[in-house]
Amino acid sequence: MSFFPNSWLKSCGCALVCVLILSISGCGKSEPTVATDTAPVARAVTPPATHEVAARDSDIPTPDVAPAVIPKASLLLEKTDLKFGFIKLTDCAALVIAREKGFFGDEGLQVEVIAQPNWKTLLDNVINGELDGAHMLSGQPIAATIGIGTKSPIVTAYTMDLNGNGITVSNSIWEQMQSNDESLRSPTPPHPITAAPLKPIVQQMLAEGRKLQMAMVFPVSTHNYEIRYWLASAGIHPGMYSDADTGGRTDAQVELSVTPPPMMPATLEAGNIQGYCVGEPWNQQAVAKGIGVPVSTNYDIYKNKAEKVFGVTKNWADENPNTHIAVVKALIRAGKWLDEVDDNGQFVNRDEACRILSRADYVGADYEVIRNSMTGYFYFQKSDKREMPDFNVFFKYHCTYPWYSDGIWFLTQMRRWGQISEPKSAEWYASTAKEIYRPDVYRAAAQRLIAQGLLTSEDIPAEDTDGYKPPTNEFIDGLTYDGKDPLGYLKQHEIGNKE
Amino acid sequence: MEAGASGAVWSEAGASEQVDHSDLDIGHSMKYGLLKFLDISGLTFLTPIVRLMYGEEPRVQLKKIGQFIVIPALSVIAFLILWAAIAPRHKTKSGEVPTPSVVWNAAVGIWEFHARENDKQLAFELTGERKQARLTEIESRRLTLQTLSAEADRQVAEAEAASTQQLNERIAALRGKTAQVEASLQKESDLRKARQQALSSTLKLDDESGHELLLAAIKEHNEAEKVAAERLKLIRSEEDSLRSDKQPALIAARTAQTAIAEEKQYLLKMSEQLSRANRESKVAEAQEKIAADQQAFKTATGPDALALAKRLVAAEERVDTVAHSEYAKPWTLPDQINRSLACVFFGFFLGSVIAIPIGILCGLNPTFMAAMTPFIALFKPVSPIVWLPIALIIVGGFIPDPDKHWFISMLAEIPLLGRLKINPAFIASGVTVALCSLWPTLVNTALGVASIEKDHLNVARVLRLGFWSRMTKIVIPSALPLMFAGLRISLGVGWMVLIAAELLSSSEGLGKFIWDQFNNGASDSFARMVAVVFVVGAIGFLLDRIMIVLQRSVSFDGATAAL
Repeated sequence: MSFFPNSWLKSCGCALVCVLILSISGCGKSEPTVATDTAPVARAVTPPATHEVAARDSDIPTPDVAPAVIPKASLLLEKTDLKFGFIKLTDCAALVIAREKGFFGDEGLQVEVIAQPNWKTLLDNVINGELDGAHMLSGQPIAATIGIGTKSPIVTAYTMDLNGNGITVSNSIWEQMQSNDESLRSPTPPHPITAAPLKPIVQQMLAEGRKLQMAMVFPVSTHNYEIRYWLASAGIHPGMYSDADTGGRTDAQVELSVTPPPMMPATLEAGNIQGYCVGEPWNQQAVAKGIGVPVSTNYDIYKNKAEKVFGVTKNWADENPNTHIAVVKALIRAGKWLDEVDDNGQFVNRDEACRILSRADYVGADYEVIRNSMTGYFYFQKSDKREMPDFNVFFKYHCTYPWYSDGIWFLTQMRRWGQISEPKSAEWYASTAKEIYRPDVYRAAAQRLIAQGLLTSEDIPAEDTDGYKPPTNEFIDGLTYDGKDPLGYLKQHEIGNKE
Repeated sequence: MEAGASGAVWSEAGASEQVDHSDLDIGHSMKYGLLKFLDISGLTFLTPIVRLMYGEEPRVQLKKIGQFIVIPALSVIAFLILWAAIAPRHKTKSGEVPTPSVVWNAAVGIWEFHARENDKQLAFELTGERKQARLTEIESRRLTLQTLSAEADRQVAEAEAASTQQLNERIAALRGKTAQVEASLQKESDLRKARQQALSSTLKLDDESGHELLLAAIKEHNEAEKVAAERLKLIRSEEDSLRSDKQPALIAARTAQTAIAEEKQYLLKMSEQLSRANRESKVAEAQEKIAADQQAFKTATGPDALALAKRLVAAEERVDTVAHSEYAKPWTLPDQINRSLACVFFGFFLGSVIAIPIGILCGLNPTFMAAMTPFIALFKPVSPIVWLPIALIIVGGFIPDPDKHWFISMLAEIPLLGRLKINPAFIASGVTVALCSLWPTLVNTALGVASIEKDHLNVARVLRLGFWSRMTKIVIPSALPLMFAGLRISLGVGWMVLIAAELLSSSEGLGKFIWDQFNNGASDSFARMVAVVFVVGAIGFLLDRIMIVLQRSVSFDGATAAL
């Protein structure tokens, strides 16, 4: 054994062993060290220093952010570290924007927004105190308060958006609908598309002893009422709820089941369902992936209907009144920011909002997909891009105000489909809505913002409003809804409970 | 690098035939120390290298290196090449199967997100001159980025225009073709219809063949229509696939634009964190207001003074909360890994605390074993998915209001544990891990205790050892190797169960990360999930190694542990 190779081998071998051991032990090393933390930043900031020197003296960019505003008499916050839940949908925008644009920070709040896997878990987490509040379906505070499903009083003082949902059917159902209605064959078929071309398909399936399977996101979700409305307006019975049938399938011609929003495209692709009603971006996702065709949006079914609300438990609202006002203040500013338009009526902040929402810890879908609906367009097919400036409304039409009439509409739907098993009086509708919707908190927040000069009095409903929107007949079936006469509205429907 | 130093000593000794004994001993002990370490840690595949270092049978060692290091390395490389070659061929509707390089990029993206969130947190806490320096740095980068971003926007616009033009040309060509086919099909259809007309109009009474001919013609026509419809559908679907075909140039331009837009967002938030959202700035601002209010309070009287006093007290309290506020940082993968590890060890510990005593009792006493058997048999095969909701409900029952519960608040106060933000979902996941992973430990402990040599127990009897000394001197030491073999399996099971439990309970951790990515459905989500597969695998491997080391260190007979 000669000296040289021996020592060479030894040192090589030692090095190899060390490297291997280190690399193996390094695999599990999860605690980030300070040095590695700063490394990517250093990379990000190195280049400019040299060639931008001249520019730096003259125009250092001032931060794009509004100057710090501390109200004259600051609210004494009961709680400053908050956790809010959301579901990965673009209509959670107000929450995300209030955090990212520092509106929560301006109120002295440190807010974590946490994605929840489904509406049930989200509601449970709010009720059991794991979350302080959440992005909720309009029906959730109502159902929780009156005891459909889990009973626990929940209130809302802020409506997060209008519209924003769509109904998508699978490619094969779309083809069958096309053969039932020749006008749908065109690359840009006339809208709104009713469920009439779907009816022969449903009937044929019934004759074969099958039922068309469609999905929505939650039993008391806006989507459930929308898809039922859409089906029923064409004479297809979507099934009734009863105390014995909490699945809502009694007399159903089309069976509706519950699937969490992000799972919709996968479930449709797997063939478990032939259609669904869900919020964005999951309809645009179906178009992008080529697995289905959105046939209708809820804007076509019921124009400018309240969609999501910001809900907290009644206990939380009672214990943290000032924090509640501070949160609503930040949300109002976020809504206003989202709907800000320039002189030509073009949204100025939506593009940035899409960038923020596409982050993996928020909605996480591709920027292009989120942008489709958020910037005033909606793709019904790849060939059918339509302008829909009001597809997502976050602030316009005084929509963030908690209108009693919105709550009552949901109550009428719950009664219509049997989720409320007994007929109720008109007074009951009004008093229940007043229990859940809290315009007083909204008003307090808005007035503070007006005093700070961040909001104008035109941005909110007039002082003397009674909390009811004027009667409207902007439904796909042309019926008239007046929040003050819920029973009269119920009577007009062909399918479902009439009183 | 002690090994290197001693290596030098040994080589000198080897060179001169005059062997100094002490040097030889050092070399030898070093060598055996290393070999023993490798053996205990289960890294036996490295032993040939150590032996080769010491010049022991180089031929044999090289062969072993080839067999145990080079071959596995080659197979990994072959796997990567195969993966890179096959992945792009399989297209799913959630995008292409990611290639190794895409997965690598996704991993870098995950890391970058983590680094940026840490930066934001640091920025929130920065004070004084360092804050100012950092702010200048960020602002200058923002300036550069403005030009870069304009350039990226221009490139995307160009690529978009080019791609739209190309698409329109292709679609126009396709539509022309479609129109032709449609026309010819229509013509054929018209011909067939005319024939039916002719057949029906010339039909005579009692002309059986004529009737049949008409029926046949209609059947034929219907068949032909179906075929035509299929053909048209195929052609129309071509248009859709044309539309979904993305130009590589456009994709590249968009990716670049997205990277810049994301950095822009990051810098914007950073500059905010360093200015108005900074903790120090907020405190200073609030204090300024207090100072002004104090000034006013000194000269105020009556109701004014009351209002001001109230305000002052409130403001002081507010300053205090602001001064102690923390940046609400979102969970990032490294933090989630820490939490997952904490959760698996919590569950593993809980499971072991239950399993080991019961296992020992089962091994000692066949009657007790008989009493336990039904439970073991019944609960062992229950899946984590069944346990989790039950655990969630039960844990939730104990901790109704987690925010104010003394136990959760106490945990939040403990320095390192506090950062894990332990909540009922964490505890429920841990309990699920415990319930699923305690069985191998229980069964192995029982087996280990039951198979103690009778002689040992007889000795204990002769020495009249009490119950505790018998336990600690005889029973547990003899059962340790098997017990640890069980613990090792338990930890492996626990790690697998944990990911599923986190996914279902949406307790922050690796499971939740996977679920969130699946829910995102973005173009890089698939790659991120694949990246996490390797993270989960590597951590599982590491946990296994740790258990092997423990197992070896308690075995007397040097029982080998399988890889």
